[in-house]
Amino acid sequence: MLHTIAALQPLLIGGVLLWSGSLKLFSRFAAAEARRTALPGLVGENRAVGAYKALGVLELLIAAALIAPPPLWIEPAAGAALSAGFLGYLAYAKVAAPTSSCGCMGAQPSRVGRRAFARAGVLLAASAAALAWAPSTAWYTSAADAPVVFAAVLAAEALLVAGFSSELDHRWLLPLRRLHNRLTHPLAGGGFEIPLDSTVTQLIRSGVYRHTAAALHSDLGEHWDEGEWRFLVYSARWDGRPATAVYAVPRLRYAPDDVRLAIVDEERGETLLTLDSPPEEATEARPEWVLTTTVPEHVRTA
Amino acid sequence: MDRRKLLTSAVLGGAAGIVGATALGSLSPEDVFAAEGASAKIKPGDPDPNFVEGRITGITDTVLFVTSSDGSLHSIRVTNGTSIWKLNPTTFDEVKVGDGLYARGLRLADGTLAADSLWVNIVNLNAHVDSIGKGSLNLDHHGQRVVAHVENGRSAAVYNNTPAVSDMSMLEAGKHVKVIGAWHPDTNEITISTVYAAV
Repeated sequence: MLHTIAALQPLLIGGVLLWSGSLKLFSRFAAAEARRTALPGLVGENRAVGAYKALGVLELLIAAALIAPPPLWIEPAAGAALSAGFLGYLAYAKVAAPTSSCGCMGAQPSRVGRRAFARAGVLLAASAAALAWAPSTAWYTSAADAPVVFAAVLAAEALLVAGFSSELDHRWLLPLRRLHNRLTHPLAGGGFEIPLDSTVTQLIRSGVYRHTAAALHSDLGEHWDEGEWRFLVYSARWDGRPATAVYAVPRLRYAPDDVRLAIVDEERGETLLTLDSPPEEATEARPEWVLTTTVPEHVRTA
Repeated sequence: MDRRKLLTSAVLGGAAGIVGATALGSLSPEDVFAAEGASAKIKPGDPDPNFVEGRITGITDTVLFVTSSDGSLHSIRVTNGTSIWKLNPTTFDEVKVGDGLYARGLRLADGTLAADSLWVNIVNLNAHVDSIGKGSLNLDHHGQRVVAHVENGRSAAVYNNTPAVSDMSMLEAGKHVKVIGAWHPDTNEITISTVYAAV
């Protein structure tokens, strides 16, 4: 039993190395990924891509040696050395470049986290097991001897490695979370109130606001609802004295043209200005880049 | 609320039309800024004298003492006309020592900033929704975990740049969001004011 499990480890390690090595060599994004890893800090900016590719070649060579006959003790030893080296690299990346990508399984950027360490640890343990208990047993003879145990343990280990791979999260974890959210509705109950933000957006899109915004001095100070209106109060200056600008904005419908304004001097109790529609713009006051002449015939499209 | 009654009747009451229409000329930005000397020369690269950011280290009466992130000390005077944002427009008694703030106003001769607007604990995050829990989003903000709480009745969502709605249920795990919210000081938690998402 133990012998069977130990003997199948080269296949697992070989499979994982095949995956990561081929992504490092053949992925379209390999060069970009190489620059996101901690390698530029380790070997220099210019050599990072080369080192990344060389690592990919090394991984493929070890993978091929592990999977193909003959079984030699040197192969799991090389796997163990690679895993140990990778653990060391992860520790370096965690300390020296905590924002870098792990660079483990190519393509998807993923941070150096507990799961990256756990996966490298699993590979190291697998290599050590193969080296200790079945250094020269071929996985295919072991598979022929006990096919059920072999397949079950290999599948379980492959799932474990996949579970520790944040690069694969979008394949299983994210869909699971979305399904869970669709079934449980964790953010339900927001109600049907019109948010303040919605009213402010409507205000900002109104002509009255665009003509008077320059007089405002503060952000939104106070607000309240009354009937179909929502009132928004700002501090303003008018004719060189402090005043209060109060806008009435339709609350339950989108009608920026209905926005009204009063500018009030509260100390004296005087209303200084009221507007219920944007003032007419005098044509001569328009900037010169505003198109005033009719569009030439040849420009018209319809 | 007498004040609200006064303001309501001013904006809705009576004759629609323009009182003081002749004064409209003074609304153009050039006139407003010229009148206030807002165009007073600031040398390129100098800090904006009318802006302060930092953490509140003390509050006395209506003055806030603030330490900026560059270590400089500021005092900020809050007046009746100052707008105060802390998740939503609020009042001065909600402002606490330890809060972070952005303030804009006018620098007085004694160095105090007379505040026009205060934004307390406001944050603006571009993040990934890692997962959605009961009443909160777990955000991945450049590798940092941020818990963003939804407060029913206050938090709003803007989908595809349409006007904000209260319904948060269209947010999805794995998507990108932008969040304007109020930070809970010295934690990795915020309360969402508005979340912007594409659906």
